[in-house]
Amino acid sequence: MGTGPGLLDAEPEAAPLRVVIAKVGLDGHEVGARVVAQGLVECGFDVVYLGLRRTPEQVARAALEEDAAAVGISVLSGAHLALLPKVREALDAQGLRDVLLIAGGIIPDADVPVLEAAGIDAVFHPGTPVPEIAAYVRANARV
Amino acid sequence: MKEQSSRPETHLTNGEADGLREDRERWERDVLAPWLEQAPERPSELFELDAGPEAAPLYTPLDLLERGIEHERDIGLPGAFPFTRGATPNGPRSRPPLVKFYSGQGTPEETNRRYRKLRDWGVEQIQIASDLPSQVGYDPDHIMAAGEVGRAGVSIASLRDLEVMFDGLPLTSFKRVGALFSSLGPLALALFVALGEQQGLTTDDYVVDLQNDPLKEYSARGTQFLPIRPATRLAADVVEWCVENAPHWYPLDVCVNHLNAAGAGSSSGTAFALANARCYIEELLGRGLEIDSFAPLLQMFLDERDDLFAAVANIRATRRIWARMLRDDYGARDPRSLALHVTAYGHGRETRQEPLNNIVRTTLGTLAYYLGGVQTLYNASYDEALAIPSDVALKIAVRMQQILTHEQGISLTVDPLGGSYYVESLTSDLERLILDELARVDEQGGAIACIENGYVRSVIVEGAVRRQRRFEAGSRAMVGVNVLASDDEPEPVDVLRVDAEVEEVQRRRLAEVKAERDAGAVGAALAAVTEAARSGANVVPSVIEAVRSYATVGEVADVFRSVFGEWEPDRAF
Repeated sequence: MGTGPGLLDAEPEAAPLRVVIAKVGLDGHEVGARVVAQGLVECGFDVVYLGLRRTPEQVARAALEEDAAAVGISVLSGAHLALLPKVREALDAQGLRDVLLIAGGIIPDADVPVLEAAGIDAVFHPGTPVPEIAAYVRANARV
Repeated sequence: MKEQSSRPETHLTNGEADGLREDRERWERDVLAPWLEQAPERPSELFELDAGPEAAPLYTPLDLLERGIEHERDIGLPGAFPFTRGATPNGPRSRPPLVKFYSGQGTPEETNRRYRKLRDWGVEQIQIASDLPSQVGYDPDHIMAAGEVGRAGVSIASLRDLEVMFDGLPLTSFKRVGALFSSLGPLALALFVALGEQQGLTTDDYVVDLQNDPLKEYSARGTQFLPIRPATRLAADVVEWCVENAPHWYPLDVCVNHLNAAGAGSSSGTAFALANARCYIEELLGRGLEIDSFAPLLQMFLDERDDLFAAVANIRATRRIWARMLRDDYGARDPRSLALHVTAYGHGRETRQEPLNNIVRTTLGTLAYYLGGVQTLYNASYDEALAIPSDVALKIAVRMQQILTHEQGISLTVDPLGGSYYVESLTSDLERLILDELARVDEQGGAIACIENGYVRSVIVEGAVRRQRRFEAGSRAMVGVNVLASDDEPEPVDVLRVDAEVEEVQRRRLAEVKAERDAGAVGAALAAVTEAARSGANVVPSVIEAVRSYATVGEVADVFRSVFGEWEPDRAF
């Protein structure tokens, strides 16, 4: 598919990239996260789903233990500006600066630059085809 | 005319039916087929309903005959068994759907300002939208509340917040008032009882309408925080208390809405909700209550937002199923038990792109519920796919319902689509899909078993994946998004932002409440809640006392956590 210098293009036999997906905060809308989790599995990723109400620290610990290339967080409650930078901080605190942090949910366009400045690598809006997310992770994975 | 054992709605004799069948075959051969040569159909996936069936090109009396639909047995008259045509005899001519709004944002003061506006615009029912910490049982100063206070709704930590929200608004200002609090039903009930007392009202003076449906939280909505069985018990406590103390209130609204939206689709979603209803009913029967003492207090929150005709058919089918289920499975005799009272939330497939188009979508979705004959109705604001509604968007939504009540002849007659070959056929087809799914749930041991064994989740996720695929393929069309997208500059939309200071304001208020209240009284009241929860007694009286003493949402929830334990997140997908 020529999506860039991803690991898989160089080494087709390499182990699949692992993605940790979680809901942080109290938002209970879980289906988007599950659909992306399932879609990424179909796109050849290893996916670990942590479920609802994870703290940034729990997410970072799981990313470390699972040797994740990327962490995907879903937030639909409006708490993204408060929560997502904390996930980045928690990842960095575990020495996981290279782990890609992507987000999805109901996130107004105006907040995207704020999140990007806080170290969130990409924001995907509802309705994004999962292969698009997969291609992004492949092309940008740093570990 | 000879009586037949199976009398179709159309009152056709066998000879007449054969004649119609021949006419239809001749038409297909001689008229339709040549037409399709020059005007081929659009792709068949476009005719698949999200609710399950594929729409046929045409419906005629033969479709009713083939489905064995009998007028008296299956359709009947409104306000009479099997209630297909309506819960009440005179529909919107006597009672148009109550205009209800799900509203709350930021601080209680800000919410009060909005409630006054809603009252002035003619809104008849307020359903409090509270923030996630309050729904999940955390006070604003809890670590888990960080970033969420006042975000998805108004922050509520104690009775003090309701006092502010309803300042200058006696609970009698609206025909009904209510809240969701599906994981903390007794607390929501207690807040309204205590607030009513403060306003000098008795429970006879106003009507409380609660969602209080914890089971669907575990499958689709996500505010569960207790293990599933005690959560079910708390919900039943609310119903039982109302049976004894406020039988004109609506203590439990069994929801399809969130199950459908999450991916189950309206047919399986309705089946799962009916299975949840069975669970509550059986819990209450197990306490020795008579079915006709509590069934009239139950409502359902139905939902089909992809297809106007399927929404009408789903409501009609569900009323029929409910009437038969209550009569045949539970021995209900009171017509008020058999007549399902329905609420709904007018939606379409709303989009963030070109958001003003959502006004058109929600109008059609809301119209569907008018045509289906609901008792109370919310509808979405055009900016709900973006944020909490702005004032402008909210007012358009209020006016939308009022226009449907007063203009365009929408509310002049009962069940206006009844007798349509299409709608009656679809009613029957959806009824079959719902009953088949309900039978699968029953076979596996009922609602709780199917939540615990992952069956409900698997149906929801499969449905959500199917929707996503259909969206990507363009057969789940969203105009301006995956079909007919334009390159125009996005329209500017005024998105409501919740002030980040809300969290600080609410923490301060909580500290004030804690400083001012009688700590001894709070301690005693919480001890009484603990005792009731442990002993299996109805917790509602003790929770009312706790709320009166200004015990907080988090404190009451912590009592339940300590007695019942905590729910564990599900990591399967």
